[in-house]
Amino acid sequence: MDISKAIDIRTAMRASGVIMAYNGTVSDELMVSLADILKTRMEAMDDAKRSRVVFSIFMEGMQNLIWHGRTNQNAPGMVCISQQDGEITVVCGNRIQREESLKLNETLEQLQRADKDTIRQLYREGMSKSSEHEGPGAGLGLLEIARRASHPISFAFMDVDEDHVDFFLAARI
Amino acid sequence: MSELHIAATERTPEILLSANNGTFSMKGESFPEDVSAFYGQVIVAVDQLALNLTKPLTVDVAMIYINSSSIKAMFRIFEGLEAVRKNGQAVSITWHHQEDDDIMQELGEDFKDRFPDLPIEVNAA
Repeated sequence: MDISKAIDIRTAMRASGVIMAYNGTVSDELMVSLADILKTRMEAMDDAKRSRVVFSIFMEGMQNLIWHGRTNQNAPGMVCISQQDGEITVVCGNRIQREESLKLNETLEQLQRADKDTIRQLYREGMSKSSEHEGPGAGLGLLEIARRASHPISFAFMDVDEDHVDFFLAARI
Repeated sequence: MSELHIAATERTPEILLSANNGTFSMKGESFPEDVSAFYGQVIVAVDQLALNLTKPLTVDVAMIYINSSSIKAMFRIFEGLEAVRKNGQAVSITWHHQEDDDIMQELGEDFKDRFPDLPIEVNAA
């Protein structure tokens, strides 16, 4: 990379108040290492309640990336935690099957419209649902994120090719 | 008789289960790499309690962090506790959480809501 490009990246990260950013192959070990760093950073901010929320959202986001990355090592995930105007944002991104994005889009739109009580009710129902179809948390992870975030979650899909799209999810705390 | 003694690790809780003493406890963090591998044995042991327990069961849960897939495993464990109760043994559960930990407090309430017949006390430790 050209050094000026690297400086651009740093400038952009600084301007957005990035605390931690990662793009690349995700793995269980990576999650544990990043979780450790994040814990230390958050402890330094001295707000235990908020730290727990950020940590919980980060962990669910990472586990989702690992789940989706398990079959395709060449489809890297990204996670970015930033702080601006007193608000922390956790963004996760990963590549998914286009087919999968349709249902996800529907679920997320539903979650965006739902109030906190509805999300909690969905969460309670999700606790007992079997996890065969969707991965380890089978939707409970998304509900955890939506439930803990202090604003409705936002999300985006970006076209990659005929079969794939990149999916981004952001939660503000 | 069912007995389990699993020491805590950075990412898995301490699990103590004794059919002889009528006690079961889970304490610590829970984000195992393989949730089924870790919780499978616990679920089996708790399910066995429904068949062989001869005294009341005291349960203590004190989690610091628990991920969503572990929550699903814990749900299975609570189903086992519900089976113990249905088989006629008294079950009393204390769900401990740190004073300022809303997440764990709410999760305790969620389990209470899902298992209305189990006596679950959600307690700030």
